[in-house]
Amino acid sequence: MNSFSPLIALLLIPLGAILFIIAKAPARMTALVASGLNLAISLLLLLDYPAAQGSYAWEMNFPWVNLQGLPPIRLHFGVDGISLPLVFLTAIVTAAAIAISPGNIRRSSEYYCYLLLMSLGAMGAFISLDIFFFYIFHEFALIPTFLLIGIWGAQNRQFASFQVTIYLMAGSLILLAGLVALIMTLPPEARTFDMIALQSYLNDHPIAVATQNLIFPLLLVGFGILVGLFPFHSWAPPGYASAPPAAAMLHAGILKKFAIYGMIRIAIPMVHDGFEAWLPVLLALLVGNFLYAGLITLAQKELPTMIGFSSIMHMGYLFLGVACWNTIGVSGAVVLMVAHGLSAALLFGLSGEITQRAGENRFAEMGGLAERAPTLAVLFSFASMAAMGVPGLANFAGEVMVFFGSYAAILPVLGPGYAIIAIYGTVLTAIFQLRAIKSIFYGLMPARYEPRAAVAATAGSEGTPAAPGMTDTSALAEHAPYVLLILASLVIGFMPFLLLHIVEPSVSLLPHLK
Amino acid sequence: MDQYIAWFLLLAPLAASVTILLRLYSPNGAIFASVGSASLCFLIALGIAWGGIVAPTPWMWISLPGSNESPGLEIEIGMIFDALSKGMLLIVTGVGLLVHIFSIGYMAQDPGRARFFGGLSIFMFSMTGIVVSTNLIEMFFFWEGVGLSSYLLIGFWFTKESAAAAANKAFVCNRLADFGFMIGILTYWILMGTVSVKPIDLSNSYHQNAVSLPRVVSILTPEEIAAHTGTAISVRHIGGVNLTSPLLLTIMVLGLFGGCVGKSAMFPFHVWLPDAMEGPTPVSALIHAATMVAAGVYMLCRVYPLLLLSTFGLEFIACIGCFTAIFAALIAVQQNDIKRILAYSTLSQLGYMVMAVGCGGPDAAMFHLTTHAFFKALLFLAAGSVIHALHEEQDIWKMGGLDKKIPLTYWTFLLGMLALIGCPPFSGFFSKDYILADAHAFHPAFYWVGVATAFLTAFYMTRLVVVAFLGSARSKAAEHPHESPLVMTIPLIILAVLSVGSGLWGFWSSDSGMKNFYHNWAINLFSDTDPIPNNGHFITVPEINTGIELGIPFAAVFFGALLSYYLYLDRTTDPLHIRLLARKFYVDELYQRRLVRGQQLLAGLLNWIDAWILDGLILRGGAYISVGFGEVFRLFQTGSLQTYAFIFTLGGVLLIYFTLFAH
Amino acid sequence: MEITLNHYLAVAATLFVIGLMGVMMRRNLIIIYMSLEMMLQAANLTLVAFSRFNGHLDGQVFVFFVITVAAAEVAVGLALIVALFRLRQTTQVDNLTTLKF
Repeated sequence: MNSFSPLIALLLIPLGAILFIIAKAPARMTALVASGLNLAISLLLLLDYPAAQGSYAWEMNFPWVNLQGLPPIRLHFGVDGISLPLVFLTAIVTAAAIAISPGNIRRSSEYYCYLLLMSLGAMGAFISLDIFFFYIFHEFALIPTFLLIGIWGAQNRQFASFQVTIYLMAGSLILLAGLVALIMTLPPEARTFDMIALQSYLNDHPIAVATQNLIFPLLLVGFGILVGLFPFHSWAPPGYASAPPAAAMLHAGILKKFAIYGMIRIAIPMVHDGFEAWLPVLLALLVGNFLYAGLITLAQKELPTMIGFSSIMHMGYLFLGVACWNTIGVSGAVVLMVAHGLSAALLFGLSGEITQRAGENRFAEMGGLAERAPTLAVLFSFASMAAMGVPGLANFAGEVMVFFGSYAAILPVLGPGYAIIAIYGTVLTAIFQLRAIKSIFYGLMPARYEPRAAVAATAGSEGTPAAPGMTDTSALAEHAPYVLLILASLVIGFMPFLLLHIVEPSVSLLPHLK
Repeated sequence: MDQYIAWFLLLAPLAASVTILLRLYSPNGAIFASVGSASLCFLIALGIAWGGIVAPTPWMWISLPGSNESPGLEIEIGMIFDALSKGMLLIVTGVGLLVHIFSIGYMAQDPGRARFFGGLSIFMFSMTGIVVSTNLIEMFFFWEGVGLSSYLLIGFWFTKESAAAAANKAFVCNRLADFGFMIGILTYWILMGTVSVKPIDLSNSYHQNAVSLPRVVSILTPEEIAAHTGTAISVRHIGGVNLTSPLLLTIMVLGLFGGCVGKSAMFPFHVWLPDAMEGPTPVSALIHAATMVAAGVYMLCRVYPLLLLSTFGLEFIACIGCFTAIFAALIAVQQNDIKRILAYSTLSQLGYMVMAVGCGGPDAAMFHLTTHAFFKALLFLAAGSVIHALHEEQDIWKMGGLDKKIPLTYWTFLLGMLALIGCPPFSGFFSKDYILADAHAFHPAFYWVGVATAFLTAFYMTRLVVVAFLGSARSKAAEHPHESPLVMTIPLIILAVLSVGSGLWGFWSSDSGMKNFYHNWAINLFSDTDPIPNNGHFITVPEINTGIELGIPFAAVFFGALLSYYLYLDRTTDPLHIRLLARKFYVDELYQRRLVRGQQLLAGLLNWIDAWILDGLILRGGAYISVGFGEVFRLFQTGSLQTYAFIFTLGGVLLIYFTLFAH
Repeated sequence: MEITLNHYLAVAATLFVIGLMGVMMRRNLIIIYMSLEMMLQAANLTLVAFSRFNGHLDGQVFVFFVITVAAAEVAVGLALIVALFRLRQTTQVDNLTTLKF
């Protein structure tokens, strides 16, 4: 218990890499090596996790700060079957995000440091078993997010970076209020930041229902803002559209999952009566995610905003899975978190790739790019299929479990109705993703994507300055990160039991499961 | 070892498709891999049919425990080899192999042929998967897989705007229908506590209460089901809804049927199939005529015992099938594109099969599915051969006089056409007749619509043959066609033999032949647990086809063909002008105008609300309020240090005053 | 005349007010700064006086701390003023209003 655990390495390696980069080590290489190491460690952990019990593994628990009047803050790390997949997700998406980043980006050492910091924050939040650190690590990750969008973002980056940051900070504050309220309602001797101790205390001495009814909405709105629950979603699409692809991958792929993870870990099990009372509201809001955000996605005319909205829409599945609060639904939500992390990272990365190569992100101005960039077309199709929940890719496995879970759950007002709305969500996703594929890659290609010589030949005059020809991802290094993510998604999609046998025992240990 | 062989049924095409799409081969290497995997599949299918290859141990895909409120979720990936899947497997792999071989010739000049064969291999993988699925989620898995390969292959010539649009349309239509399928699966699971369909276990007394055919008499009450289904299902309530209510059973049946409506392109989801003809012709033959679109019918047969639980559901299935049959046949009368005519004829024939299922004749449906797979694949491949010969000309009015110039194609096409219209003694005659007899036993109305459809079928197919092949050439391309190479004509000949012979086989015997094969399967569906000898209680057993019921369809076919022959012989333009039919009853326009545009309008409206009300007014409004406060408070910031010091002091003095003297 | 606590306090108050007036009225940063120091010394004086008349040493100890911190503060403050002068060539507060929005 009081020994060092391998988990701490997951934090120390990026930290070390940052120090190296500050000490003028080649930034990209160092970051790649660090993220690769982390990926390897998390894979080993995934393989080595004693799945049968579903309890916390590799715990380490050190005192950190003791303040008068506050419960002790302890450095308490540990993972179970719910957080371990997210640790793996963090590692793999970080590696991919760093790998797709251009080597010649301006202020590159800062850039890679911020990416590493972001991933460090997410990783820390997932492995912390102390609510203080759980919260602080996430806050910590928001700072590099702000800087990444503000410095390296695309159009409208300053506005976007401020909007995202202020919105998310506001969400965190509400969340903080909820967490403080949760701890402070307990009698002084029972107050603790330790999740395990808090959970076991609350199991035996639940808070008064009226108080829970006040605390839960704070947690719901706080987590809801962080994850983009309708109607707190409007920070996301412009934010993601402006963010550099790697930052969008990290945020949409990983950091957002923090909120769902928090729902599973804290909000629902610890404030369960409040959850029951507010369930109708939560359900109404997630219908907003499916239908409102889904339909808005249909109306988008630019690739990055479309993907931004689609990632909002897909949060509906996660919330639905969690809201069922049965083994099937919650396991599905955990699998889907990983799956969505992979597919969102793929889509944001590829959308950046396409935008950068085509010099264009409006659907109306693109077309026929499959001819010039077949590999990119295949990769993007894979990503879209993943997002659409085509079987064989991870999202399908997660979505199916969420469907089953919600169909079986006794939810107020016609439980199966929500499953039906969720399934309709897959139809909407198919419509907008296929439309994107069609308008980017199919049809005839505008002449400006022809190589210079060809354009000159058709134009008839040699001197006309032609736009540079559209290029495909060529070297292995260019598409390796995407292939890595697709492979991970395929493995989970074909063999979800590999993940489930880790997830399910821990999920079934959650309290109050229906 | 034995039990691993069957996995290659799935692994061989999967491996082929993956390696091809990763571009590990040259184009010819890709063809070799794809055709090789298809042959291997066929060999394994033969082995399975022979009985030498047994089903492998299933593979637990998802296994989650249930609770007292919900059943557990156990999804396995396994294989089931019963009479139904054995028959279907032979059709899929056999026709599949022939189409692969045909494609070698047909696609020889196309630069993207590697991608084409990769798509075909994905299709073979998914389609065999559907056939051998042991449970509905596994089936759904592959179900979407065939949808995907269909999408890829329809959009094969992706630079064509129409092909890309057709691909999207096909996928979205199927998705929309699969939405229903998924609901059906979920309802099945909540009712039965399992998604497995091997076999669907309805215990004895349970199906004594099930709908009894041919006359539908009884509806199950919840108590009866609860009392008779034993441990697998107990009466549960969700939000006051009784889980075993007839309503829920009907939702289940209609939901499952939803999957069929999409994949088999029943009305109102039929619109994607004609557009799917944008794909290369071998694709149309294999996927959009012989096998994939029949998957819906196959699925209905697979879950047939479930359909009996809802009278309304069963009748609804029969009605939709019947309506689609005549609806599509009417449209086909006025089409001019050779592939589109065949596509509408496919719709019409699928309508027959679905109607047969709804009328209590899954055996008849499977019989017709089999013969249809042969003759429709033949017709499409022969049409492909014609198109190939005429350099991509598809308009039948620009053909003509082909019978002498490409005789092999002509004769095989003619045989396929005779089989399709149900001319004795070709295969279509037997299967269609079987369906009509079932329909008659169920309700005469279905029978009469079926006869009318048979008349129309004879009419438009004769029109097609007369206009396209007979008479004189009406375009330059039609004057000098060239017969296709052997690699294309040999599959035609094999399919022609099958189209002719598959119905005749076992006609005189009572225990061999295809018809009896399927009939025995259907009867045995129920015999496992039934102590009472099964006497066709749940399967419509038509009366011996004699006299008028046999004669009327034959007469309809004869007169349809005759009428068409004299109407169209030696014509250069169509003497009939029925705008409503030529425009396909304006269904596409209706969808485009009402549904697609409506949804788009709603999306635009919501987008506006999001940008201006939610984000603009509420959020940015909130931000502007903060800015406003800032504007007011910044007046205090004079920039003069002394003023600050003064205010600070003042504050300090006030503080001291209030703490010390205010009381 | 006996010197009582009140005398000390009166002197301290006078010093404090002089310092305060200096801070509020003078325009030169150096003078303002010196006035601030004067206010600080007024506080010190009060502390010492109380310490003396109350008969225990807490106040005097505290003064040492204040003096130490004040010394550090002077070092930082003067350095800032010098840096500011180098940048702007002025120490008049009227001219230092760039942070005004």
